[in-house]
Amino acid sequence: MNILEATGITKVFPGVVALDSVDVSFEPGQIHCIIGENGAGKSTLIKCLTGVYTPEQGEVKINGQDALKQKELFDKVAYVPQEIDLFPHMSVAENLFIPYEKSGFKGMVNQKTLEKAAVPVLERFSIPVRPDDLVKDISISSQQLLQIARAVMHENYDVLMLDEPTTSLTTKDTQILFEIVQNIRKQNKAVIFISHKLEEIFALGDVITVFRNGKKVAYSRLEDVDIPWVIKQMTGKELDQNQVYYSNKVTDEVLLEVEHLTGERFTDVSFQLKRGEILGFSGLVGAGRSELMQAIFGYLPAYEGSVKLDGENWKLGDPTFSVKHGFIYLPEERKKQGILPVLSIRENISMAVLDDMKGPFGLSGKKEEELAQKVIKTYDVKTPDADKEIQFLSGGNQQKVIIGRAMCCNPKVMVFDEPTKGIDVGTKAEIYRLMKELAEEKGIGIILISSEMDEVRKCSNRIIALYEGRKVGEFDPSSDKQEILSAIIGVA
Amino acid sequence: MNEKAKSTNPVISALKKSNMTAIGAVLVVMIIIASISSPYFLDIYNLQSVIRDLAFVGMIGVAQSLLLLIGELDLSVGKIASLCGILSGMMMVTYGMNPWLSLAIALLCGLLFGCINGLIITKLRLNSMVATIGMQGLYGGINLVLTKGKAITGIPEEIYFLGKGNVGPIPAPFLFCIGVLIVVLFLVKKTKTGRYIYAIGNSREAARILGINVNRIRVLIYSLVGLISSLAGILYVARLGSSQSAIGENWPMNSIASSVIGGVALTGGIGNPAGAMIGAAIISIIQNMIVLLGVNVYWQSAVSGIVVVIAISFSSISEILRERKARKVKVG
Repeated sequence: MNILEATGITKVFPGVVALDSVDVSFEPGQIHCIIGENGAGKSTLIKCLTGVYTPEQGEVKINGQDALKQKELFDKVAYVPQEIDLFPHMSVAENLFIPYEKSGFKGMVNQKTLEKAAVPVLERFSIPVRPDDLVKDISISSQQLLQIARAVMHENYDVLMLDEPTTSLTTKDTQILFEIVQNIRKQNKAVIFISHKLEEIFALGDVITVFRNGKKVAYSRLEDVDIPWVIKQMTGKELDQNQVYYSNKVTDEVLLEVEHLTGERFTDVSFQLKRGEILGFSGLVGAGRSELMQAIFGYLPAYEGSVKLDGENWKLGDPTFSVKHGFIYLPEERKKQGILPVLSIRENISMAVLDDMKGPFGLSGKKEEELAQKVIKTYDVKTPDADKEIQFLSGGNQQKVIIGRAMCCNPKVMVFDEPTKGIDVGTKAEIYRLMKELAEEKGIGIILISSEMDEVRKCSNRIIALYEGRKVGEFDPSSDKQEILSAIIGVA
Repeated sequence: MNEKAKSTNPVISALKKSNMTAIGAVLVVMIIIASISSPYFLDIYNLQSVIRDLAFVGMIGVAQSLLLLIGELDLSVGKIASLCGILSGMMMVTYGMNPWLSLAIALLCGLLFGCINGLIITKLRLNSMVATIGMQGLYGGINLVLTKGKAITGIPEEIYFLGKGNVGPIPAPFLFCIGVLIVVLFLVKKTKTGRYIYAIGNSREAARILGINVNRIRVLIYSLVGLISSLAGILYVARLGSSQSAIGENWPMNSIASSVIGGVALTGGIGNPAGAMIGAAIISIIQNMIVLLGVNVYWQSAVSGIVVVIAISFSSISEILRERKARKVKVG
């Protein structure tokens, strides 16, 4: 008998089918692992199984009852998210028992009662903290365990869902977590374990389901398969594998030289970028790729190491300097860091080059309009006019405006941080083509950060793999996909 | 739909597009109501008095709107105004300095106080509201130390016309107010700095990634606000003929209210300083009406408060409608 069962789930976002009629079911007393590349549909599935999203088609049954009709059934699914979502300035005990259903008399909260009740919980989960410690003062590892403890201590759940629970755990705490999970399995609960770390999946899991491009592509008992099988299922065989977008005009001239750079979340990274080259950076989310590039750009601090651009020493820590001297960073958080949402397309574009927009009487609206029309035409932005607020454009068109704006600054180096995040397949290819053109025709050095392995391999001349802030390898794009994948998940 | 919009008169379509049109219409309606409900409203002396009040609320409102555009605010504008007024009064009366030199120095002091506000807020990464609450305490405190609570009288009469005088039928302070508005509008609409103000208000992070020196712009705006505050302060001294620490009591709140009524969003990036000017006009008319209609003295503040809240809601209601429209655009 399945505790949680989803049949024929389809979830569509504008331009993307995130889940394509997926069947998946979870049995009590079993640890069910789910794996897939970024964008394969795991997160969407989680959100459908926890009642956050309502799928367009299909049904979700919990204990045989239709959960889409009775939303309260989703309370039976205890979900521990990947990011820590505790209250940092509240105590461990307060965080554990929020919202204090049984703590005090009629809506009062009794601190002493809470702290007393927290002691056995902390012992059971081997969390080495005191109930009155503030959460911000305990280690990330303890926070992660605390978060799991909070989700499962009520014991009225049937399914425990752990979303990449070990990303911030030390090896020792991972062992503690594994023991906890195994105990929970003994209590005949269903456990869903989502992870990128294959060795952990094989150490802990009973069965595995693999997702790719919104489809469930494989299901097996783990004892019947091995790591290469999983990687093959995960990455699949690419149909248009032949279509590649790397630059054919890489020069020998070194444009950017980074030596032993260390900063927040990355350590001792060195690499070179040549004029006209597209250099891919592969790694898991949190591997330090964005932090590295933002540090070179000057947005984040760098502690040690040196950077040279065009043979000259580069000033770190000043984005204004970087933009002026031709190093442009196109952020992953397009909505927060890229666009100026309530300004028009025209204003968004001219913002980068206002010095060139001067007319006889202050800024010239005519010059701005001309520039905007040029960008709209060159980069094929789909919009009725340049007056439209940029927030109303689709993600892909926003990205084109941002690329066009960057090109107005005559850049030497451009960093594309997850340039196709949330962008549909057709527009993705357009963005790839643009990057190739910029590298080949303008001789720009391009750095591409992407979590999609196919994207990096299609577009890059070389690939650098980062794992936990360190450079763990340099690959040719034609090298084996499994090899790169092993490097970025730390197996190599 | 686009075809249709293009075929109509360009002035009308520009008016339709502008979010100032609605608030301008509210102002016109208020003027009509005011002139119908009180026969004295359109009296030339009453109008001059309304406009003289408006000059001060308007100047400070326009200044405050610049800060709101970058998502910040300054609650010390009133105290900077009164402190600069007192400094100028002391220079003129106590030390017998040349009045024009005194005023110029007082203006520079305002610029300096604003700059100090900006530096404290950017360098120490403080919240603008909390920091300027502290600073207004400091500036107000210096006021009391300098004056011991007494007004400085005996201001040279040669500067009276700056506050009390009229140019033709127009009160002199209002001309300064219009001057400030024109300068600020030029800054906002026609210069690099102005665009950067909107960029910072839209997203401070995106502005930094674009290479904009965000903190330099912020300090500049605080300095400018300090300068305009001190201008308002010394004009008020000229109007009263004495320097008092009570000058500018209501200015922080009235300036924020004018901006919000005029469609400048507290969250930054949205609005136009000209809107703050219209907002200030609405507030001045409300205050004038309360007096003209003979509202009980004890009730005046309460009534004015309620009417201001109603006026503020106009722009937030239009914001709600705007969001609905945006949602439809996105779905469609």
